[in-house]
Amino acid sequence: MTARKENPALRGNAGLLRSDKKPANGKTKKLILVGSPNVGKSVIFNSLTGSYVTVSNYPGTTVEVTRGKGRFYQEVYEVVDTPGMYSLFPITEEERVTRTLLFREKPDVVVHVVDAKNLERMLPLTLQLLEAGLPVILTVNMMDEAEAMGRRIDLLRLSEILGIPVVGTAATSHHGLDLLKKAVVEYVRKRVA
Amino acid sequence: MSESVLPDQGFKLRYDETIEKALTEIEKLLRARYAFSRRMIALLLLQEDEEVLKAVKSREPNFPQIFNVIRSTREKYREHLRYVITLQRQQHANSILSQVVQDTPVKGSRLNKWLDGITIRPLTGVPLLLLIMYFGLYKFVGQFGAGTLVDFIEGRLFEGYINPWINQLVAETIPWPSIRALLAFDYGIFTLGLRYAVAIILPIVGTYFLAFSLLEDSGYLPRLALLVDAVFKKIGLNGRAVIPLTLGFACDTMATLVSRTLETKRERIIATLLLALAIPCSAQLGVMLGLLAERPAALVTWAGFVILVFLLVGYLSAKVMPGEGPAFYMELPPLRVPRLANILEKTLSRMQWYFMEIVPFFIAASVLIWAGKITGVFDAIINGAAPLMHALGLPSQAAEVFLFGFFRRDYGAAGLYDLQKSGALSGVQLVVTAVTLTLFVPCIAQFAIMLKERGWRTALAIAGFIFPFAFLCGIVLNLVLTTLGLSL
Repeated sequence: MTARKENPALRGNAGLLRSDKKPANGKTKKLILVGSPNVGKSVIFNSLTGSYVTVSNYPGTTVEVTRGKGRFYQEVYEVVDTPGMYSLFPITEEERVTRTLLFREKPDVVVHVVDAKNLERMLPLTLQLLEAGLPVILTVNMMDEAEAMGRRIDLLRLSEILGIPVVGTAATSHHGLDLLKKAVVEYVRKRVA
Repeated sequence: MSESVLPDQGFKLRYDETIEKALTEIEKLLRARYAFSRRMIALLLLQEDEEVLKAVKSREPNFPQIFNVIRSTREKYREHLRYVITLQRQQHANSILSQVVQDTPVKGSRLNKWLDGITIRPLTGVPLLLLIMYFGLYKFVGQFGAGTLVDFIEGRLFEGYINPWINQLVAETIPWPSIRALLAFDYGIFTLGLRYAVAIILPIVGTYFLAFSLLEDSGYLPRLALLVDAVFKKIGLNGRAVIPLTLGFACDTMATLVSRTLETKRERIIATLLLALAIPCSAQLGVMLGLLAERPAALVTWAGFVILVFLLVGYLSAKVMPGEGPAFYMELPPLRVPRLANILEKTLSRMQWYFMEIVPFFIAASVLIWAGKITGVFDAIINGAAPLMHALGLPSQAAEVFLFGFFRRDYGAAGLYDLQKSGALSGVQLVVTAVTLTLFVPCIAQFAIMLKERGWRTALAIAGFIFPFAFLCGIVLNLVLTTLGLSL
């Protein structure tokens, strides 16, 4: 992908806005959850993290960012739950904060959570995240509801086309979350290797 | 390491030739390093993203050339480039999805469809909303939470055991009367501040959160938003604002916090104003309902007048405030049966968060009341307010109700309760006091949150409007009712 080839600054360099975080090869890895409102992001966040959760306003805004820690397959991750986002081109304050977070925090992996029933509306953001050169895993949530509506999604094919891991989940009933954790760990390992 | 990062990455989004050419040119001109790919920076530049433009302008020596590319590309399209790029990306997404998604429409279960329909059609939706309000809010939160639970925790536990024990302990161990009064007795930190937080607010807010989480997880709220959207548009809000405003009926302080989820600053300000002015919180609502329920005509007058003020002020502020009306887009998720574990978890974490946020304010309010009493400032204010009370057609001791109402909304309402019980108020006076009290106070906690969320200028402007406006409404209402010779 051109975006990546021409982007030597994917990580480890000063960003558009300067980074205030340590480089990603430290012990704790960073996972940022993004997605539009009402896709089950918070449920996924809760199942990925333990009890050490902090909520704070993003500096200079009234927008809340939730952070927690989770351990998947012996690896410790800082998990950041971001305010709802529809596009990398921000309209609301929430979207602006999320974009700034993505700019600044140099995530090891960005998990984009989408609603299986509304893939049409949400896939463009996945494409944007990829265009931005971010390490994306696509999580297609609410698979159960989509199936109940008569929708079938070929996740494997979608993963082939996008060239990134795609995981199907039904977070409210805890389906697929282990798969997601596994995908995160494998993806990050592969990218470091 | 950028190229070896994703060896399996095969995806590439191509735009039309003109845009691709512009992107290539801009990417070549970019010198600085960015956290996002150059292609994304170029895309954002073409869409004239202000933040990115500013950053690029300040650090790129080639900015004039870059800007030329943007301008010449822009001139080649009739529509805004933002629109062109979004459209092409959407088309790309659609073509991907056509390869992976298969929809075979199933007939949704009859029950589901039926429920779906009745929640959003006004003819059935409005009665359903009233039923939910009656059982969910009035019965469960108002009667069970604010009644049964509060009676038990506050009446039995605090009045019966905890307060006497603290009072005795303080009386025995602390020799100074003023410190005693700070810690215990009528206005003490423990006996008033903490008691309010634990015994009155927690059960009410707890039951409210439970009901609210249930509605939230069932998928009803977006439908409610759709239902009231048309009315809310008239007052400068969209249907989504129904969530913080409904929350206001539990606690305006918390609702003011939640109003940050609204999209535009304009909406947030209107919502904050309406919350402070015309939405009585659960504690206040409970006492008011109990008071006015004995006189149905008074209850109807009070409710009608407050709703009128709500709509009128909303309508006017939407006219006065600059900015565009909100657009409404919210998807309708299917109705689903909520999962008990999720609801309990949500309710508990909300209660915990709320409690942590509210306790310091209650303690501060206790200290302020104590200081006001001890220094005689309160008495001076009450005496000074006598003419105002007379303008409202009220006895002078009503001033105490308003003063304490500022510290705690329900405290003011509770004072009103005492006044009425002592037979000091006529029906008209009762309604006038109830209306003025409902409109008048953003309690001190709510005011503090307004300061924090909206900034001091907006918060002061809102308070500066509400204080005189509430009394003006009371005076007008008193004039109208007495002129008409109604006794209620």
